[in-house]
Amino acid sequence: MVVDQDLCIGCGKCVPYCPVRAISIVQKKAVIDQEICVECGTCGRKNNFVKCPGNALHEREDVTRHPRSIRKFFSDPMATHVETKVPGRGTEEVKTNDVTGRVDKKHYGIAIEMGRPSVAASYQDVEKMTMALSKFHIVHEPCNPIKYLFEDEKKGTLTREALEQRVISTIIEFNIEKDQLEEVLEAILETGKTLDTVFSLDLIARFDTPDAMPDIPVLARLGLEPRPNSKINLGLGKPLKEE
Amino acid sequence: MSHSLHRRGAPEDLRHDYILLVTAASGVNHENSKEKLRQVLDLVWEIGPINTGSNETGTILSGVSVEEIKAGFTKVPRVRCCFDSEDKMREILKRLLAMDLGISVTVSGPRGRIEEMCQEMGVQPHSVNFSLDIWGKREKLPPEEIMEFVTMCGHGLISKALVTDTIERIKNGSMTPEQGAVRMGSPCVCGLFNPTRAVKALQKYVPSQREETVK
Repeated sequence: MVVDQDLCIGCGKCVPYCPVRAISIVQKKAVIDQEICVECGTCGRKNNFVKCPGNALHEREDVTRHPRSIRKFFSDPMATHVETKVPGRGTEEVKTNDVTGRVDKKHYGIAIEMGRPSVAASYQDVEKMTMALSKFHIVHEPCNPIKYLFEDEKKGTLTREALEQRVISTIIEFNIEKDQLEEVLEAILETGKTLDTVFSLDLIARFDTPDAMPDIPVLARLGLEPRPNSKINLGLGKPLKEE
Repeated sequence: MSHSLHRRGAPEDLRHDYILLVTAASGVNHENSKEKLRQVLDLVWEIGPINTGSNETGTILSGVSVEEIKAGFTKVPRVRCCFDSEDKMREILKRLLAMDLGISVTVSGPRGRIEEMCQEMGVQPHSVNFSLDIWGKREKLPPEEIMEFVTMCGHGLISKALVTDTIERIKNGSMTPEQGAVRMGSPCVCGLFNPTRAVKALQKYVPSQREETVK
């Protein structure tokens, strides 16, 4: 996003709305730090809840061109990824698992939402995590847009252009064999200690029996206790993906 | 992806915070699903969500109408809405079961309560996404009382500065909690922000309430 300096009256109304603190007032005009801005579009939404009196906030001309587009597609849920046609950060994950069968009874699904909540993430941090995971020979979810940022997926390395970008959040998403869970979670938590950002950690599992939550004793061994909220797919989609 | 899963707050508050996600699956059953999703949104609206919206249009909280949301459905449509009442959540599930649209239905909220609802209705849940909390450089996180608000927008569009600034306005009497909830919830575009929870959490910053607390 950019501020038209001729239209800005320097009122500062936009400043608190920026989720990454990229906007500041300099010499009585709003300016946006282009290195910090993640192109989420919040300050310049069409319905103008920011109420910019001069209508001075606009998108950059190159915002949908690579590599600046990486920031936009991963940060602005109103933009749809060119490659996957899915808006938002990732894929439909558990929300359509009953018909896609993405996570079956032999596997767990893992999602690591880098930068969330409230901190944002650079792809240099994202690469630290993907490289740490590469030793498990994981296959990243093919419908997740991060797939298009790899230089070498097996090594977990990202393209040079991606490494120069930062976003509100990006999701590393993959399946593992059930017996890999402990070592993979340990690696994730250990790598987390080296990051300059935070991440939210998800674990997707199938119900083994219809009336009881999946029992995952590994979590207690690692000192991980699922928080009280969960996202539950009720299995009402058709055609149900049979295994 | 996990944008309704990692909401923060006391268990008692989370009991008034349910997200319904009805999603056509791209490449599986999205064709001709628009009309089904419009039916779902009509039903949702009849029962009374506290918020709803879409990535294409924005939310009712920020002034978008339900008709605009329906008109904005894409080829792979989805309904996202928030309920502040367990009874309403139960009612919408009963009605969705009766409609039998064949579109995936996911509920995000207190795990034990959702399980009980499923058992009551004879639903066999398919899969679950657990939140295993937040890790990494946690010292960069804002305080929990701010996190409670910012995590109600799962895309991370509500800034901690906006929450802090809104709280200050309520403290100095220039804004009511109701106005504050609308202000901080407006950047959330898909309709998951729960203004009822926000108002309740903001009440404690109203000057008269603070005086009562001090007494």
